[in-house]
Amino acid sequence: MKKFADIFSLRVLIHLILIRPFLKLFFGVNVAGRENLAASDRYIIIANHNSHLDSLLLFALLPARHILNTHPVAAEEYFSKWKPLFKFVDYLLRPIWIARDKKAEDPLKGMKERLNSGHNIIIFPEGTRGTPGQIGKFKTGVGRLAVEYRDVPIIPVFLSGPEKGFPKKSPFPLPIWNQVTVGPPQVFTGDCLDITASLENMIRELSESETANRHRRRKRPKPSFTVAVLGIDGSGKSTLSREVSRALSDAFRVCLVSDRLEFYEHEHQKEVQPLLTEKVREAVGRYAKTAKSLKHYKIPKMAELLLRDHIMGEVQRWYSPDILVLDGCPLINLAAWAKIYKGEYFDTDACSAALRILSGKDEATGKDDTVLAKFPELAALKRFGLASMRLPDAVIMLDVAPSVSVARIKGRGEKRQVHETEEKLAKLREGYLMVCDVVKTEFNIHTRVVDGQAEIGQLTASAIAFIEQGRGKEPDHG
Amino acid sequence: MLSDLPSAAVVLIFLALSLVALIRRVAGFSSRVDAYIHYLWTFFLIFTVSEVVSFNAAIWILAGLCFIALREYFTLTDIRLQDRWGILGAYLSIPFMIVFIQIDWYGMFIISIPVYAFLVIPFLVTLGGKEAEGTVSSIGAIDFGLFMLVYCIGHIGYLGLFSTWMAIMLLLNVAMCDLVAYLIGTSGKLRRGGDVTKYLASTPVTVILMLIMSGWTGIPRDHSVALGLAIPALVGIGRHTISYIESDLGIATDRLVPGKGRVFDSITSFLYAAPVVFHYIRYFLK
Repeated sequence: MKKFADIFSLRVLIHLILIRPFLKLFFGVNVAGRENLAASDRYIIIANHNSHLDSLLLFALLPARHILNTHPVAAEEYFSKWKPLFKFVDYLLRPIWIARDKKAEDPLKGMKERLNSGHNIIIFPEGTRGTPGQIGKFKTGVGRLAVEYRDVPIIPVFLSGPEKGFPKKSPFPLPIWNQVTVGPPQVFTGDCLDITASLENMIRELSESETANRHRRRKRPKPSFTVAVLGIDGSGKSTLSREVSRALSDAFRVCLVSDRLEFYEHEHQKEVQPLLTEKVREAVGRYAKTAKSLKHYKIPKMAELLLRDHIMGEVQRWYSPDILVLDGCPLINLAAWAKIYKGEYFDTDACSAALRILSGKDEATGKDDTVLAKFPELAALKRFGLASMRLPDAVIMLDVAPSVSVARIKGRGEKRQVHETEEKLAKLREGYLMVCDVVKTEFNIHTRVVDGQAEIGQLTASAIAFIEQGRGKEPDHG
Repeated sequence: MLSDLPSAAVVLIFLALSLVALIRRVAGFSSRVDAYIHYLWTFFLIFTVSEVVSFNAAIWILAGLCFIALREYFTLTDIRLQDRWGILGAYLSIPFMIVFIQIDWYGMFIISIPVYAFLVIPFLVTLGGKEAEGTVSSIGAIDFGLFMLVYCIGHIGYLGLFSTWMAIMLLLNVAMCDLVAYLIGTSGKLRRGGDVTKYLASTPVTVILMLIMSGWTGIPRDHSVALGLAIPALVGIGRHTISYIESDLGIATDRLVPGKGRVFDSITSFLYAAPVVFHYIRYFLK
């Protein structure tokens, strides 16, 4: 008789009479592969985690006799925020509570206890509900359990629907069907990391086979990865950016924004229709170079940089290359030039504020901020709606002593521009280094300063490695 | 209420369908035919309740059918997180429409969804979040589902309010079209013809059926013939149109799974026929 009481307790009745019909009638539950679960009496269920419905759905899969001795793993601090909810969940599901902040204790202790006493457990190896519809990286705890309990089969389950029916941050559930796919029970021989990886793979495969034929909304094309090569005049940045573009074009479609627009594919330059803006920019740039004094140089140079920034947008729109290499980044150049014109005001804070304003990320800057007062150019650009310049994804700074670069410029034999003196270039270099420091620390942009006097082949190789590394980094969207 | 022959016939058909559905379920069949029998059974359940209990009870079962169809549609469409308010609005417009049918307020029924729901839902979608990208697609998807699966099916309910036999007439004719098209499709004789041709082939059957039923439905003979000619064309056009939508939603018609197009696929024959037949009868005969 004890057995009967064990099975038909109030808890089981709530599951059978209230929760299961509610899930079926309100949401709809479709199970594929239920036989995989019915075959064994001991198991560890693992599933992807997107919603609070997940645990209830997995309980709805279980045979009635297993309801009382199956326990999901749940985060204690999340549910303990509201006492009645905690009590309700604790009564209904009898979870194994895990305290995420208690580092000292073995987090697997509770699970091992239950497994030792012959009970089954449900684990969400992602650890948290994560981004809806995406499977996160699996934590290794499940692998460690599998190593210790090799005789307990692991059943992978893929849940699709809860991420739409009752996702995170949603105030109410919506009736949306739940598709539950139960994979075949797995027994492993490898080590902890292998097991975790293969389980993650298994869930991913289930997810692909489940959602393959579903229509998806078109995604916006990925913006080009932008690499800026910085340096004062005569530092060799044009040469380096051309070499880098050529080398990268082996695998990608690359566009180089230099004094001319150049496209590279398979290590060769490609002919394309020139853009009209490019012609305008060239003319403005030529005019700027003839300026007799710094005062006359400022406005045409600013216009040239703005046009250059505009060209970056045009290139992305019409040609959408994989990688955009910039011979000098308009936004950073504009900021760094402030060191020459207003060196006395230009410190790290001003630089950071200027970059924020110029890139249009300055919700915090008020109308009468001191930065705007000190740099009226910023206020003007903002007023004319020009302060939305593009920040690069990676920055390479070629650092060269001003004396060296002046010597190089002399060597070219061209007419020297007004700012190409040792004193001005030293200031400009200071400006660049400061901006590099700011974008690295405050804007979290992949940045590296290299010695410009190194050999070009070596520079190119290290730049390519650096760019690959930057591309590999997942963009961080908070 | 069961005294007259037609009502008894409805109950008999319902019981027979229940038996067939039960046998096929026990035997473990699961095909498009089963989905179809299930759907016929649902409609005859509605008619039986309407004949034996009351129309008011039957119309709420129809509301349930609308809910199930809409739920399946929203499961298959790609929705953003912030569209949830709009979808909630779509679900909530079902009871409003049903109440307007119940109290026989035609004017309000006919504008409830195409005017008010279609004005409110876009507003709800914009309340859900700040992201503007995809708003047009979302509103379009929500409104289309609501229009097809709630409003068009709702017309069957209003037709049932005129007379249960008119609704049964519509169902039987549509079912007959589907049967003939199915037989033609499986016999493999008509490989070239599209959906519309397959359905047009059932015209003689529907005309005869309409004439036989004209005594029960109360539709005069000339109008019966006109409807018998119109219904196959409407069903064909509807099937053809919906087949494009089905493939875009990713419904695999050879493997109908609950929640992945089972209800949607069986109900599609109605979507064009129900509103047009309803308005024909309302214009000429009421």
